[in-house]
Amino acid sequence: MKTNDIILQTATKVIAFVIILFSIRLFFSGHYYAGGGFVGGLMTSAALVLIMIAFDMKTVEWILPINYRFLIGIGLLTSVSTGLIGVFMGDPFLTHYFGYFDLPILGKTSLHTAALFDLGVYFVVVGVTMTIIKSIGESE
Amino acid sequence: MAFQILLNFVLALVWMFLSHSYNPTSFIVGFLLGMLILLSFRRFFNTRFYMIRVWAVIKLILIFIKELILSNIAVLKVILKPKLDIKPGIFALETELKQPWEITTLANLITLTPGTFVIEVSEDNKTLYVHAMDLNDDIQSEIDGIKNTFEKAIMEVSR
Repeated sequence: MKTNDIILQTATKVIAFVIILFSIRLFFSGHYYAGGGFVGGLMTSAALVLIMIAFDMKTVEWILPINYRFLIGIGLLTSVSTGLIGVFMGDPFLTHYFGYFDLPILGKTSLHTAALFDLGVYFVVVGVTMTIIKSIGESE
Repeated sequence: MAFQILLNFVLALVWMFLSHSYNPTSFIVGFLLGMLILLSFRRFFNTRFYMIRVWAVIKLILIFIKELILSNIAVLKVILKPKLDIKPGIFALETELKQPWEITTLANLITLTPGTFVIEVSEDNKTLYVHAMDLNDDIQSEIDGIKNTFEKAIMEVSR
C-alpha cells in the first residue's frame, strides 16, 4: 500500500536545509569547539539520506547530479595537496600555515590550511557514506 | 519564490543562533551560506532559483534608469532645435503581457522612452495606444525594437 508522505515531504523541504546549515557550522567550528570535517560530512549525508527517505533515490539524483565516487577522489586529492604545500615551501610534509586576514564582511579572521585538509576529510566522508547507502539501496 | 526567500531568511537566523553572534555580520554570512545551499538544491523546488528573478528585477531597474536619462536628452534636443520639424502621431501596440502590474510597468517604461508615451490601454488589456513625438517608418520599427526588449525584460521577471 502506498501511503501519503505529504507531511514528511513538506517538513523535509525545510529541515534538510537546517541540517545542512548545522553541518557547515560543525565543519567550521572544528578548530575551537567540538566538530570538524568528519562529523560535518556525516551530518550532510544525513540530510541527503533524509531527502532519500522522504522522496526517493531518483529525486536525489536529479537534485544533486553528483557521482559520489568522484567526491572521494576529490577529497583525497584536496587533503594530499594541502599536505604537499609544506613540501613546496621547504618544510616537512603536512606542515600547516595560518595567518590573520581582514576580509570584507567577516572582519579579522584567522585562516588556516588545516581547514583545507578538513574540507578533504568532509568530501571523503560524504562520498563514502553516500556510496555505501546508495549501493545498498539500489541492489535488489 | 516567496517560500525560497523566507527559507533563506530562516536559515540566516538559524546561523545566527548556531554561531552565538547576533550581529549583522553573522546574518549576512548566514544569508550567503543559505543562498549557496539553496543554489545547490535549486531543483528541489518547482520554481526557479529566486536570485534569477531578483537579478531580472535589477536589470529592469537599470533599463529604467538608462531610458530615463536618454529620454530627457532626446526631449532637450527637440526643445533646443530652432526649427519645429517633428511629425507627431498615435499608433497601436499589441502586447502579450497579462498581469496588471506587467502592463503598468510596460506603460511606464514606454512613457520614459525617448519621445513616446502611452495615452490609453484598451478595454481587454491587449493593446496600448502610444503617442509618438516624431513618427516616421524608420522610427516605427526602431521603437518596436525597444519595446521588444522591454517586454522581454518584464517577461523575464514574471516567467
